[in-house]
Amino acid sequence: MGEILIALIKVVFIWVWVLLCAVVMTWVERRGAAMIQDRPGPNRAGPFGLLQPLADGIKLFTKEDIVPAKAKKILFMLGPLLFSFPAFSTFAVVPFGDKFVIDGKEILLQVSNVNIGFLYIVALGSMAVYGIILGGWASNNKYSILGGLRSTAQLVSYEVPWGLALLAIALVYGTFSLRDIALAQSGTFLGVLPNWGVFKQPLGFILFMVAAYAEANRVPFDLPEAESEIVSGYHTEYGSMRLGLYLFGEYVNIVTLSSLITTFYFGAWHLPYIDMSAFLGPISYGIASFIVFFLKVAFFLWLFVWVRWTVPRFRYDQVMTLGWRELIPLGLFNIFVTALVIQLTA
Amino acid sequence: MELYFWIFAAMAIGAGIFTVTARDALPSALGLLTVFISLASLYLHLQAPLVAVFQVTIYAGAILVLVVFVIMLLMTPEDKLAGEQKNLPFRSMGAMLGGVTLILLALGVRGVYCMVGEKALSDGFGAPKLFGSLFFNDFLMHFEVVSVLLLVALIGAVYLSKKNF
Repeated sequence: MGEILIALIKVVFIWVWVLLCAVVMTWVERRGAAMIQDRPGPNRAGPFGLLQPLADGIKLFTKEDIVPAKAKKILFMLGPLLFSFPAFSTFAVVPFGDKFVIDGKEILLQVSNVNIGFLYIVALGSMAVYGIILGGWASNNKYSILGGLRSTAQLVSYEVPWGLALLAIALVYGTFSLRDIALAQSGTFLGVLPNWGVFKQPLGFILFMVAAYAEANRVPFDLPEAESEIVSGYHTEYGSMRLGLYLFGEYVNIVTLSSLITTFYFGAWHLPYIDMSAFLGPISYGIASFIVFFLKVAFFLWLFVWVRWTVPRFRYDQVMTLGWRELIPLGLFNIFVTALVIQLTA
Repeated sequence: MELYFWIFAAMAIGAGIFTVTARDALPSALGLLTVFISLASLYLHLQAPLVAVFQVTIYAGAILVLVVFVIMLLMTPEDKLAGEQKNLPFRSMGAMLGGVTLILLALGVRGVYCMVGEKALSDGFGAPKLFGSLFFNDFLMHFEVVSVLLLVALIGAVYLSKKNF
């Protein structure tokens, strides 16, 4: 019973935490945009406008739920659900800290430490596209279908370099367990650098990062909802909380992707050069590792916002050329070099 | 745990029937997606998480997405798929082939059961490491043959779609 209770607490905790992060992200996005564009941004609701997400949520919940007359009703309702489900489920295998030790019992800060955690992420990542396709198709609107088509092509194209970058990580660490990958990143690399994935896989990191932006439909890859061309793409016809789920799912996706970047390339909960477990108690160490992990995640979350309001959107053919002609060959090259180095040094 | 099997087996068969009878293209594709996911759940039940994940990644995540992509390119949400074939000889041939396939499958299942029987699972069964070492040691030949086959299909597809080299 104790095991189930602990698992339940972990699930609820990380679920609420990710939701909270996503909520705060909507505020960070708007304030960050305002900061970059030299204007105040939403600053009326609460201190610094912090209650703005709450007001937005209430607004979305209480708006009239409109289903267009020509839409395919069931598919239309299924779309947002299918979109947000993979976004929420990925966190099941992400380690969000090291561990607590209570009465000699280790409690890992990870919902499930499965040995195929890595592949689980890839599988769920490839499912996210269905929510967008369904939304676009069921709306029965030309802009929605165009957005859905674009996103299908884009997500399928960028899953390949994404997967190739992940494959190189699996080669380096020789495991599919995310916790083992995180554990392997303590200490130093070549004597001076922190033993983080980014120093072993610099090219892989860039590939993963670019592909992650494309997978999250963020600028410069927000072709599926390019406002100036196709209104807002696949969710043009959506309103009220269904639209809310799409928008919110995007932020959950960003939180997940940032956590993955931190886990694979930036040492998860490890501080550079300092071993926290040496001088912290078992419980304070658990909390500290959680905080360190999410400080790193926070940086990448900010980077998503920063890039969005700094970089212009690609043209569609440029997106495809970048994906197939640049990233995929680079990904293959990266795997080749990684395998060669491992073979020669083993 | 038998209940688990029956739930997902029923789901797979129900979704399969929906896939072949649905007149709307995209719901039909979603029926196929449900089949893939129920099969993945059955693989999980059979202590093969790796196969389950591959099933979802490759079939649901890659192949079916391409199918859906084609549907979106060629059809509008208003279009319906063609109804039942009126051609009686073709339909009876299809029914016969279906029956033969069913018998073959039953024989296959029986054969596997006779050869393998009920054995306890070996240590680390279904783990990626064991899977990989079996794949690239004992079954390397089969693996290579299949990859050559896929390469042939790939070259054929390029040739068909690009007549004027």
